[in-house]
Amino acid sequence: MSAVVDESPQGTVPGTVPSGRPLGPRIAAVVVLLAGAGMLVRAIQDAVQHGLTVDGPRLAPLIVTSGWVVLGGAYLAQSWTAEPVRRERAPRASWFVPAALMAALVGYALVLEYTVLGYVPATAVFFVAAARLLGDRPWRAVILRDAVVALALSLVIYVAFTRFLDIQLPAGVLPI
Amino acid sequence: MATSIEGYQMARRGRARAALATAAIGSFVAGTISTVLLSVLAVPMARFAVMFRAADYFALAVLAMVAVTALVGRSMTRGLLSLALGLFVGLVGIDSLTGQARFTFGSVNLLDGVNIVVVIVGLFAIGETLHLASRPHDVPSTVAPLEPARGFAWLTREDWRRSWRPWLRGTALGFPFGALPSGGAELPTFLSYTYESKRSKHRDEFGEGAIEGVAGPEAANNASFSGVLVPLLTLGIPTSATAAVMLAAFQIFNVQPGPDLFDEGGALVWALIASLYLGNVLLLLLNLPLIRLWVKVLQIPRPVLYSGILVFATLGVYAVSGSVFQVLLAYAIGVVGFFMRRYDFPIAPVILGLILGPMMEEQFRRALSLSNGDFGVFVSRPLTVVLLSLAVLALVVPYTPRLLARGRGDRVLAKVALGEDD
Repeated sequence: MSAVVDESPQGTVPGTVPSGRPLGPRIAAVVVLLAGAGMLVRAIQDAVQHGLTVDGPRLAPLIVTSGWVVLGGAYLAQSWTAEPVRRERAPRASWFVPAALMAALVGYALVLEYTVLGYVPATAVFFVAAARLLGDRPWRAVILRDAVVALALSLVIYVAFTRFLDIQLPAGVLPI
Repeated sequence: MATSIEGYQMARRGRARAALATAAIGSFVAGTISTVLLSVLAVPMARFAVMFRAADYFALAVLAMVAVTALVGRSMTRGLLSLALGLFVGLVGIDSLTGQARFTFGSVNLLDGVNIVVVIVGLFAIGETLHLASRPHDVPSTVAPLEPARGFAWLTREDWRRSWRPWLRGTALGFPFGALPSGGAELPTFLSYTYESKRSKHRDEFGEGAIEGVAGPEAANNASFSGVLVPLLTLGIPTSATAAVMLAAFQIFNVQPGPDLFDEGGALVWALIASLYLGNVLLLLLNLPLIRLWVKVLQIPRPVLYSGILVFATLGVYAVSGSVFQVLLAYAIGVVGFFMRRYDFPIAPVILGLILGPMMEEQFRRALSLSNGDFGVFVSRPLTVVLLSLAVLALVVPYTPRLLARGRGDRVLAKVALGEDD
């Protein structure tokens, strides 16, 4: 049940780097455990408040959240005691790009709902921004391609959904 | 997926056409044979399923969830944690039997529960894209130019000779393993790949693009799907993530798969089965001429492809729900999916827990209220006992082949066996 992926001695396998005991899984385990504990407390409160019967609605939450806490504890113990693992040599993982992409997504959803910009411009701008974040080539080399794809895609989606599928999308500022 | 190892190597050697062709024809052969088996077996199976009572359904749901969780992924702990997350999300909303709210945190948006579409879009589309975004410049995007086309000859005589036995063997593995609660296509494709890589005359080519390594697993993959339909249609129990999504689709149309489906919705079921025959033929007819196009799809620049996926993911949730809350919820689930992928948690158990959890709870409570709260109902019938024992067994068995593969020092196999494919 251990998380060990590769049991070779350190420094002998090409394509891997010694990474020691990674911190990430431990933090993840603590978060998992705390979230589970919070939900278990909630389930206990509900059971106390509404009463607990074997065929009532308060038993399953107790079982699921208890299991969550026990497994979270096991996961924490494993990530704490795991042998130093060797990971495949991967380029250093970036936190900036996924975080920026997430911000772009949330911004996109809020603009769609709470501004009058409309589906086509919002989608086109989001698409170009996301492609920029995900791509590695210089801005100038791809901006034209991305912009053309973005406009075409958002226009086709808008027309297809509003005209043919009868699903409303915000029309916004464009006269379409 | 096992196929991608050999298929990718074949593509790199300019044999993408043969790889796609043997996959397409193999899928057709396996799909047709296994759909015949489904047509023959479904009705007797449904007759048998009529005898199932609430306690048996509960036991069966436990078995399906535990078995799938135990068989995919590298770690039982992480797999069960994924399952717990799915079960938890399944609890959110109004309880179907009493109307009491659970884990809604006072939000009206959560009273209806969390829609399966939102979870799937979040975990798969958003989570996958975020994961990819965190690892830039990781995937080489070069594919060797195609070898020159020779009219309609996608496969050489040699390719045919090497492909037909793996197709049939893949089918023989795929259908029964698909019908068992073993996680759908994972196990049979892996078994087929293992078998071909051990038994093939061209063992030495494995890892460098052996056609058997594409033909067998692809056939097994497609055959297992018809197998998965056996418990889905006759018992209403999904045994893979795909089947769980299909069950959700059935429920959207107010169709409840189960023993009665063949009596009450006979026309619908047989139409579905007929559509499988047709779908297989169409898949073949579409895939072979379009191989040139599919190879081109590999060349869509990654930023464009993934930005498009994000646009469609958002559109899907927004169009279905019309609510920005649901869109943001899908994004939040995407963040969870990102961390799950990063720390190697399997995704399939979440989906199964979400679908099977509410069903399992309902049958559990029904069984207990029929027995006036007597837990003996879960051990009083042999069928229930057998199913629950199998569930316990499923928690133990996965360690056996895993240890064997590792003991033999078979790194590639160990990697495939332990790797997951959602």
